[in-house]
Amino acid sequence: MESQQSTHSDSLHGILAEFRNPKELVDAARKVEQSGYKKYDAYTPFPIHGLEKAMNLKDSPLGWIVFLHGLIGAGGALLLMIWTMGYDYPMNISGKPYIDIPSFIPVTFELTILLSAFGATFGMLYLNGLPKFHNPLFNSDRFDKVTDDGFFIGIESDDALFEREKVKDLLEEAGASHIEEIHD
Amino acid sequence: MSQVDIKDRLTLPDQVNPTRGLIATGVVGLIASAIGYFLNHDQFFFSYLTSWVFYMSIALAALFFVMLQHVTRSSWSVVVRRIPETLSYNILPWAIFLIPVLFGMHTLYHWTHHSAVAHDPVLQGKTPWLNSTFFVVRQFIYFGIWGFLSYRLHKNSVKMDETGDWGLQTLLRRTSGPGIFIYAITVGFASIDWLMTLDPHWYSTIFAVYFFSMSIQAFFAVMILMVFYLQSKGVLQQTINRSHIYDLGILLFGFSIFYAYIAFCQYLLIYYANLPEETVWFHHRLEHGYQGIALALLIGRFLIPFLVLLPKKMKSIKNVVIPISILILAVHFFELSWLVMPLLKEHGYSINWMDVTTFLGLGGIFFGLFFNKFRKHKIIPENDPLLEQSVNKHL
Repeated sequence: MESQQSTHSDSLHGILAEFRNPKELVDAARKVEQSGYKKYDAYTPFPIHGLEKAMNLKDSPLGWIVFLHGLIGAGGALLLMIWTMGYDYPMNISGKPYIDIPSFIPVTFELTILLSAFGATFGMLYLNGLPKFHNPLFNSDRFDKVTDDGFFIGIESDDALFEREKVKDLLEEAGASHIEEIHD
Repeated sequence: MSQVDIKDRLTLPDQVNPTRGLIATGVVGLIASAIGYFLNHDQFFFSYLTSWVFYMSIALAALFFVMLQHVTRSSWSVVVRRIPETLSYNILPWAIFLIPVLFGMHTLYHWTHHSAVAHDPVLQGKTPWLNSTFFVVRQFIYFGIWGFLSYRLHKNSVKMDETGDWGLQTLLRRTSGPGIFIYAITVGFASIDWLMTLDPHWYSTIFAVYFFSMSIQAFFAVMILMVFYLQSKGVLQQTINRSHIYDLGILLFGFSIFYAYIAFCQYLLIYYANLPEETVWFHHRLEHGYQGIALALLIGRFLIPFLVLLPKKMKSIKNVVIPISILILAVHFFELSWLVMPLLKEHGYSINWMDVTTFLGLGGIFFGLFFNKFRKHKIIPENDPLLEQSVNKHL
């Protein structure tokens, strides 16, 4: 798939367009979204309100990942303590019952937090496709501005609708101040 | 003067005037309770204390909320801030409604009986704090401090509406900083006085925080219900938007967890140490039917709000947060009953008609006073320097 694509478009990764300010970027992102492209992204130095709406981004599933990890933490901690303290090696601690839920709660709580935090951190990395050591966009010198004052939209050549000239026209029409091709 | 473009009207329309109905309910409820006093004066005092603390806790938490917003210079809350300002303004009149509790001290508080203290070395050791004179003096100190804080914060906030003087924001902030500090100490002692000394032998070092955690959770429930009530009457429909509701929902959610954490801390330490003089308090509250209420607290104040409000979307959906708020307020009342009533009815909880009449009576007066004050001023701080940010807030 990868090699086929690259022969078709002589290793073209995508087309990167720069915009002058956040407002133009949001408008352009809306235009790209409405044109039906799926494999594109906006790159900005800071979060921009309304961009997620313009790009029609869905809610992140991260919450569910964290919730699931939390459940595993809570359930795992409780089961572990019930099994070890209640069946595997029962110990009489100050006359309390072997399976003593109130005194199991602190450990359950801590493990719930711990696994939720793992879920949040690693889930976030996974959903963002990180760690990733190189992105073809870094080949563009202009793209360095993205951590300072540059607002970019990149449409990838993997997109089903991708056609070099059409994409360029679209981005031009959307008000891009500079357009360049990105190669792998 | 600020140049904020507000689409809603800034005063309550004339047709939104529940004051008279509420005050009438209040008077009827209190008259019925007064009749109850002659039928069973023990029950009357215990029911009255429960209901009085219920509304007091909400007014006190409102005062805390206002001071917190000033100290942190929060912008999000400006559009809803007049509601807690007015709620906390009720603290001063609520001192008047403390008078029946003071008359009932002998019924409510075991340590006021000289004959009991004479045979009880533990109570003798506590007499420097637990004596009737100092108890009454303390109430004057508490209400003096809270009354001063709530009056000053409300008055200057309203003054900013009229004069547009942004310097008043500094005054409000400078009042709130030390105010929060003094508030924490006085509310701690007050909660101990009102509720913990019902069992004069028992003590819990976390009780003040426990009372605060209950109060502030109930307060956010009241805030949510109040905002939706006002919007259902066509008030502030544009100005208070989904993001403000979402923030209130987050705080309700967060303080449900805080409540569970604190309440469980108190239980776990006493349970685990297993010292008779400490466990006796839970002993009375975990049998003879009181265990049912204890379970309802766990489920109604923590498990249900926690699980229901956990997904992000839920925190701003009207049909979700309203039932949750009502549930929390109902459980708040039963929690206060759970703290107070075992002293009166050791052998089983049953709801008495006087619980209902004092609850409705004091509630009618409380919210009657609220709306009476609320409609006299602008319903949002129209000249607050942070209002623009608050109005333009979105999710």
